[in-house]
Amino acid sequence: MADNEEPRIGVYVCHCGTNIAGVVDVKAVAEFAKQLPNVALSVDYVFMCSAPGQEMIQNDIKKHNLNRIVVAACSPRMHEPTFQAAILQVGLNQFLFEMANIREHCSWVHPTEPEVATQKSKELVRMAVAKARLLEPIELEDAPVVARVLVIGGGVAGLTAASDAASAGHAVTLVESSPTLGGNAARVGKLAHSEQTGADVAVQLIRKVVSNENIQIFTDSDITEFTGSIGNYTATITTRPRHVSGACTSCDKCVDVCPIEAPNEYEYGLNTRKAIFKPYDGAHPAYYVIDVETCDKCGKCVEVCEVNAIDLKEEAMNVEIKFGTTIVASGFDAYLPYDGEYGFKKSSKVITLNQLERLLDDKGPTNGKLVMNGKTPETVTFISCVGSMEPPSEDRDTVPYCSRMCCSAAFKSMLQIKDKNPDTHIFGLFKDIRTYARRDERMYEEASKEEILFIRWTNESRPTVKTEKDSVAVTVFDAMLQEDLLIPTDLLVLCVGMRPTANADELSEMLKLCKGADGFIQEAHAKLRPVETPTAGILVAGAAQAPRDIIESTTSGSAAASKAIMPLIAGKVKLEALQAIVDEDVCGGCGICEPVCPYGAISYKDRDEGSRLAEVNSSLCIGCGTCVAACPSGALQQRGFTDLQIEAMIQSM
Amino acid sequence: MTSVETVKKSEAKFEPKIIIFACNWCSYAGLDLAGTSRLSYPPNVKVIRTMCSGRIDASFVLEAFQKGADAVMIAGCHFGDCHYMEGNYRTQRRYSMLKRMLNEFGIEEDRLRLEWISGAEGTKAKEVITEMVEVVRKLGPLVIAEEL
Repeated sequence: MADNEEPRIGVYVCHCGTNIAGVVDVKAVAEFAKQLPNVALSVDYVFMCSAPGQEMIQNDIKKHNLNRIVVAACSPRMHEPTFQAAILQVGLNQFLFEMANIREHCSWVHPTEPEVATQKSKELVRMAVAKARLLEPIELEDAPVVARVLVIGGGVAGLTAASDAASAGHAVTLVESSPTLGGNAARVGKLAHSEQTGADVAVQLIRKVVSNENIQIFTDSDITEFTGSIGNYTATITTRPRHVSGACTSCDKCVDVCPIEAPNEYEYGLNTRKAIFKPYDGAHPAYYVIDVETCDKCGKCVEVCEVNAIDLKEEAMNVEIKFGTTIVASGFDAYLPYDGEYGFKKSSKVITLNQLERLLDDKGPTNGKLVMNGKTPETVTFISCVGSMEPPSEDRDTVPYCSRMCCSAAFKSMLQIKDKNPDTHIFGLFKDIRTYARRDERMYEEASKEEILFIRWTNESRPTVKTEKDSVAVTVFDAMLQEDLLIPTDLLVLCVGMRPTANADELSEMLKLCKGADGFIQEAHAKLRPVETPTAGILVAGAAQAPRDIIESTTSGSAAASKAIMPLIAGKVKLEALQAIVDEDVCGGCGICEPVCPYGAISYKDRDEGSRLAEVNSSLCIGCGTCVAACPSGALQQRGFTDLQIEAMIQSM
Repeated sequence: MTSVETVKKSEAKFEPKIIIFACNWCSYAGLDLAGTSRLSYPPNVKVIRTMCSGRIDASFVLEAFQKGADAVMIAGCHFGDCHYMEGNYRTQRRYSMLKRMLNEFGIEEDRLRLEWISGAEGTKAKEVITEMVEVVRKLGPLVIAEEL
């Protein structure tokens, strides 16, 4: 269509069966539209979105030389893409299309007022036609795609994602913040319904990733800068000094001489490690690391190292990489109870479920023996939902959501205790029992058969814990018996849930991701786009998105990998259509628009006559139009939503 | 020109004309949900969709009043939910500015309303519309001073 061609608009009023026609007089609406300016044709039809409905529009475009289409039907969020595809098929630019929403915004909300609903429909069509007269074609631009995927996070979700994307032949950069790959899953000990441990699973994935030459791995590293858009992202990876090189043979001599002890984070503080240490067997990289927070650089390790693998002067390194898509698999943090919460830290007999899993692991600090201060506990009590399932209050940092995996993890651990020491008395103080995952309900049944006692409590009557030198006693109000029960216990296990990681805010700020009310990363659509974020080219996997178990994490890792490689396979991406554009004749370079853009898409270039001009980077603009509303001179306009188009709607309301 | 308002006026009762500017991702979806859920609300409102509430130019609101709207509602995503991250913060600022301007023009501040409506809040959409129609019905037709 030539730019100067007079608009010839086709208006189509949909009955939507009886959804619209049962309330609105659709024939009257179509008749009304005939007399609106530039309307060449106006008809009504039973289902516009049906194949015959779409064909009718296509034939009319050819037969009547229509160059704008208005469909009065459902919400544009429903069928705008359908009709746009149909008109594009017959050569009419898909942006020469407008919808009037006479179903969701009219017939369905005014069912008892047919006369008024018909009048409102006419007005909505009048507004749509007013805008359609001013529509202009928009040509979609292609941009090339850098053939690399960045995976942030080396836990099971990130490892699976990296491995899958690389197996499809794509280059992958995997960045892990801690000194080793494997994430939280590597520490959960023996898994439910399996002979394997979490570490076994992690190590299996690590081997796959390490042996794949398409994958470049950075540990002890964070993303410190992140810019760009789908197909063309740039990030800076900052690697903290490890102070130990790959020449290390893991001879252990450095550990023997190191004078500094610190709580071992890989055992959740159950034992200590030296300032130079190896996180766990099977960790990758497989050599030692120096924790700079605790090391006092005494140099003893350097003296004993026979292969000169230690360099205490090593400094942080920055590497810049380019990539087409990103998978955020930055995981979660286990909730850490505050001092005194159910006696936590007041007694060594009060531990978290994570710590219990370490005590029950054959490779844990006690080699799998459940021993507290040299004694096997006779009574073990679990308290569920610690820090979870409760709206936050002034004095309690609780979260209202359920972390979903803690109940099953508690049952798994209870059965493991019974397996090791069958005479142990176990009490489960539960707010609710949610063994929702496949096969997990069986653990609940088994636990009941093992004579484990379950007592239900509520937020109104939380269990209280009294700790003395050698004893821990729990008092709980049994909601069934309506009575207080006193349980002296040798070991109290606090079942803690999952929280967004400590650096989640920083990361989502840098990557411009949305977060849900729970603080986890929000997907674009819970059901239809479950691993995509609203920002094109950024995917999310694992527990960065919500509390997840290992199965769900690896599943979403695979899903995110397949989504991440799609643009790489296509080799090009379509840029946003509804971008902001600058009228060079009007722009005075005032500088108001640039800080308004959350995507950094606006910059200024100098003009000959000493003034400057705003410029929109088409690969960064994603079409919100915020800068357009801020522009005081009207030099900025948004394609598909220009001032004139919106004003035309206002004028014909 | 016949309109919803004149049809209703034949019943000799003032029916306000209200324009809602709604963003595509949250508030328009919430308004859609009101329909999908078959919630009823007064027919006095007509919606103009933009991609983000951040696109809603202050001049659109003034133009709507000038062209006969008795009230205007601006609807966007809740803070933190904006599809474009922070467009709704701009909306909030423009709204505050508009409130002051309307005051200068002698337009009652209840004629402009800002609402955050998520895609899941069909009920809220119905409630705020119903309430606003009631409020504006009590205020009566908008009369703009001649010199404006």
